[in-house]
Amino acid sequence: MSSPGGQGGGALSTRGGAGARRMKWALELSLGNTRRDRQGGQGDAMYPIGYSDKPVPDTSVQETDRNLVEKRCWDVALGPLKQIPMNLFIMYMSGNTISIFPIMMVCMMAWRPIQALMAISTTFKLLESSSQQWLQGLTYLVGNLLGAALAIYKCQSMGLLPTHSSDWLAFIEPPQRMEIMGGGMVL
Amino acid sequence: MSWLRYSFAVFLYLLQCTDAVFEDQVGKFDWRQQYVGNVRFAFFDTHSQASKKLLVATEKNIFASLNSRTGELFWRHVDKTGPEGNIDALLVHGQDAVVVVGDGRVLRCWETNIGGLNWEVLLDTGSFQSAAFIGVQDFVKYVAVLKKSAISLHYLSNGHQKWVENLPDSDTVQYQTVYSGGQGEVLVLGLVPNSHIVIVSYNIEDGEIMEQMSVEAPWMSSLEESCVVVGRGILLCIDPITLSLYTLPLNLEEKAEMNQILLQSLDLEVSSGFQPLLTATQPNPARPPLTAFFLQLGPEHHILLDLSDGIITALRDFKPSRLATFATTGEKTVVGVMAPKNETACSINLFTVDTGRRLLDTTVIYHLDPSGGKPNKLHIQAFLKKDDSVGYRAMVQTEDFALTFLQQPGRVVWSREEALADVITMEMVDLPLTGTQAELEGEFGKKAAIQDGLFAMVLKRLSSQLILLQTTIGHLWKLFYDARKPRSQVKNEVTFETLSRDEFNLQKMMVMVTASGKLFGIDSKSGSILWKHYLENIQPDSAFNLMVQRTTAHFPHPPQCTLLVKDKETGLASLHVFNPIFGKKSHISVPALPRPILQTLLLPLMDQDYGKILLLIDDQYKVTAFPSNKNVLQQLQESASSIYFYLVDSSQGRLSGFRLRKDLSSELIWEVVIPVEVQKIVEVKGKRPNEHVHSQGRVMGDRSVLYKYLNPNLLAVVTESTDTHQERSFVGIVLIDGVTGRIIHDAVQKKAKGPVHFVHSENWVVYEYWNVKSRRIEFSVLELFEGMELYNSTVFSSLDRPHPPQVLQQSYIFPSPISTLEATLTEKGITSRHLLVGLPSGAILSLPKMFLDPRRPEMVSDQSREENLIPYAPELPIRAEWFINYNQTVARVRGIYTAPSGLESTCLVVAYGLDIYQTRVYPSKQFDVLKDDYDYVLISSVLLGLFFATMISKRLAEVKLLNRAWR
Repeated sequence: MSSPGGQGGGALSTRGGAGARRMKWALELSLGNTRRDRQGGQGDAMYPIGYSDKPVPDTSVQETDRNLVEKRCWDVALGPLKQIPMNLFIMYMSGNTISIFPIMMVCMMAWRPIQALMAISTTFKLLESSSQQWLQGLTYLVGNLLGAALAIYKCQSMGLLPTHSSDWLAFIEPPQRMEIMGGGMVL
Repeated sequence: MSWLRYSFAVFLYLLQCTDAVFEDQVGKFDWRQQYVGNVRFAFFDTHSQASKKLLVATEKNIFASLNSRTGELFWRHVDKTGPEGNIDALLVHGQDAVVVVGDGRVLRCWETNIGGLNWEVLLDTGSFQSAAFIGVQDFVKYVAVLKKSAISLHYLSNGHQKWVENLPDSDTVQYQTVYSGGQGEVLVLGLVPNSHIVIVSYNIEDGEIMEQMSVEAPWMSSLEESCVVVGRGILLCIDPITLSLYTLPLNLEEKAEMNQILLQSLDLEVSSGFQPLLTATQPNPARPPLTAFFLQLGPEHHILLDLSDGIITALRDFKPSRLATFATTGEKTVVGVMAPKNETACSINLFTVDTGRRLLDTTVIYHLDPSGGKPNKLHIQAFLKKDDSVGYRAMVQTEDFALTFLQQPGRVVWSREEALADVITMEMVDLPLTGTQAELEGEFGKKAAIQDGLFAMVLKRLSSQLILLQTTIGHLWKLFYDARKPRSQVKNEVTFETLSRDEFNLQKMMVMVTASGKLFGIDSKSGSILWKHYLENIQPDSAFNLMVQRTTAHFPHPPQCTLLVKDKETGLASLHVFNPIFGKKSHISVPALPRPILQTLLLPLMDQDYGKILLLIDDQYKVTAFPSNKNVLQQLQESASSIYFYLVDSSQGRLSGFRLRKDLSSELIWEVVIPVEVQKIVEVKGKRPNEHVHSQGRVMGDRSVLYKYLNPNLLAVVTESTDTHQERSFVGIVLIDGVTGRIIHDAVQKKAKGPVHFVHSENWVVYEYWNVKSRRIEFSVLELFEGMELYNSTVFSSLDRPHPPQVLQQSYIFPSPISTLEATLTEKGITSRHLLVGLPSGAILSLPKMFLDPRRPEMVSDQSREENLIPYAPELPIRAEWFINYNQTVARVRGIYTAPSGLESTCLVVAYGLDIYQTRVYPSKQFDVLKDDYDYVLISSVLLGLFFATMISKRLAEVKLLNRAWR
């Protein structure tokens, strides 16, 4: 038996753990047996299936846990907003010249919120357990949108956005001639 | 500091523009051909047997020496154009060649071996009559120059004048010939037309008149045309009216009379209407002329006669014979006669001069070029063989200015097409696809699909694929084979069989029209002449207009060019329609043009065979269409209301615009008169029809757009003032819309003088003039902009343009006079433009248009820097690496032709004048091609290495993963 919170933590850990993804398949019958595997020296005793040498956490829902979950969810929701001051600072530092580093910064700044917005459903699932789920979701969304807006603003100030008429100049077709004209000096 | 910044910016630009050839690229893309023009005088250097020099003086005022074994130039001296540099006479003796230039202005003596100048003297004024060597006791010591009223004698060794004497009664007597028999006498022969001959004898030492006598000759009108000196000082004249020969001993003391001998008494008959001609020879100026002479009795009839002791005997009758000439080697003089053999060949034979006997084994067969002119001069280079018999080589000059050098028994050693020294106009035509490519095209043509069934189509497809594979393998094999040989040995023989379009369409056919009426098809890669066609009966001053009606893009229809030739005198024009790839005359019926043609107009409309429609405008402003069939007429009727044309009559200063009516007549819709008393129209230029402009505007520093005023109907008219006083002279430029006649802009450059050279392209006009006040050449550039907004971005109609364009102008100083001006042209117009400036020195300068930009700021700002504008500096630089023809100077460059290639970066350039030079230019460098020195080996080895490294590391990673999983 495991709590929903624990389940959530497990999901997070598999997402974060890149090592687990490498394997084509893995039979994980007990939590933490990977770590033990790594530690595993000689003379490892074979445990029965389902046995864990760690104490099984107490799964009974407690009030403090609920608060913790709430707090954790708020952390997740406010993450993007917290990044904005940092981004502003980076923006200021990188300047408006077009060279490889400012471009990389801008790309990263733009990519992170977009990535987060694309994975928003998983984040929402994460927040499901919270009571202020909708508020948190909105905050998360707004934070990411703000981040994206900031990236766009940076692009704009760097002149990377096709907002001027000159950016569309190459697409103007030469006008069609209505009259045919020719002639010259009398031969 | 800011100054430093400017110079840095300029430096960066110059760095960017640097576009010179590397040493190993010399001759790789470019070639030059040097010409001398139509030969007027030709002498073989006979003073040594092994000499292979041929000295020629030409109508283009050029004195040159050709290698008689190869036809190449040893050296060439290009004199001034026009009458000032005209070569009046050429006398060759030993290693000295004496030339009289510019109607007796200058007397020069050249050393014939290396072409160095021995001496040069300026002569007194007076129109030149004749010049001769004067020999004393077997030794040629002096040159006598006869002018209208004076005779002067110069030392041959240093040119110093020995004496100069006025001629007696020079206002009534026309002195025409000077003669010396090598006995130390100087005889001047003059004539009072239809009255008498005057003979004046001068003392060679002090120029005193020793003797003067006059002989009645009431029938004579010109001494030079009808008289020669034969034998020991006997004047022999022919009277074409009475058909008789007259002889007169020149050294008689007492009063003499001319002795008349009727031609009939010699059993000679002159063909009717033919002016009989006498030809004599004086092989050595220090000896009297030979007694033998030629009498030409008809266009194909010569007779060799001999005059000794007052008796004329016929040595040999040459009938038929086209040309006859004397040739001397050592002590022997022979006669070369060209006789027609059959329709396509002539035979040249040698005869002895004293008996008229034919020399054995001296026949040379000369094959007439079916696409060339008739022979009109024969030059014989005779030499003594080891067994003391006479051998010879012959040079035939034809009326199409070609020189053919023949060797026994008729092998053409070399030939030169001197007509190419005077190219009038040219076009470059794409080469056709190869046979296999054409077959593929044909396979998928509509016609084929209808004819054949499915199965036949599949078979055809397979076979054509097989052929394609075969040619590809052949091509690769050739590439491999050629790569192993050194480059100089790889011969690119171009024939019609191998003629095909290359990958990037860099090789094209150059169709050149020359003033003599000869057309040439020249391969642009190698410069070899692939076809030639001589149009007969072209008047010397005709106007030519060459148009490409159908390109090679419309297989299986052959490409088609049309040449309009207009005779200046009668005004009548004729059309010559031909295939520009093979030079063959097309069988298309050409419309009869009974009325003088004023102009032509090549419409962008096509008939059902994909040929562009050509309109010919006659002097009643009626239009004739060519081709003219139902389909064409219907198309013309449909679009008649949108066809306009303009005519410029420079003599009346009138520009007039017309519109086509449905019945192919036209109505005058506008007229602009520029008063001829004040200024005259020099030239009018529209835009080139094949010009593409990629960018419709220019990006400003603040990233807004300044749109270009791209009026396809805009005409630039250049006028010059008739008043040439330096305070009042001016040059005017008027920009007129050719449809509406609306004057868009006019500018007057005060205190300026022509000749004006200008280029009109895109939205700019660049013109060049002489600033009289500051005495320098100046460039001025006009650019037209529509403004920050486009009035109508989809359609351009001259009739609906309410807003006048903004005009910007700037002028610059150019440190050299120029001969011609042209702009580069590329396929899509993305590449930046350069101006190609032909300089009188023969160099061709590729000047970036960026330097001629009226938006160049005087003060640099951030915006102008953003726009990459170079700060304004009045002087335009000339940098040595901008000369696209390095040391291959083009003498007297008269025109530059530019054509786009298949590569956007590359523009083909042909400069023509006296020489022809072809090259490629890359105004924005070769951005679409890998460089020549690109390291293929390194790149491919790195790629391969990386590939294997990934493969290996992948395998290793897999193994490691597996191992870890098993742990």
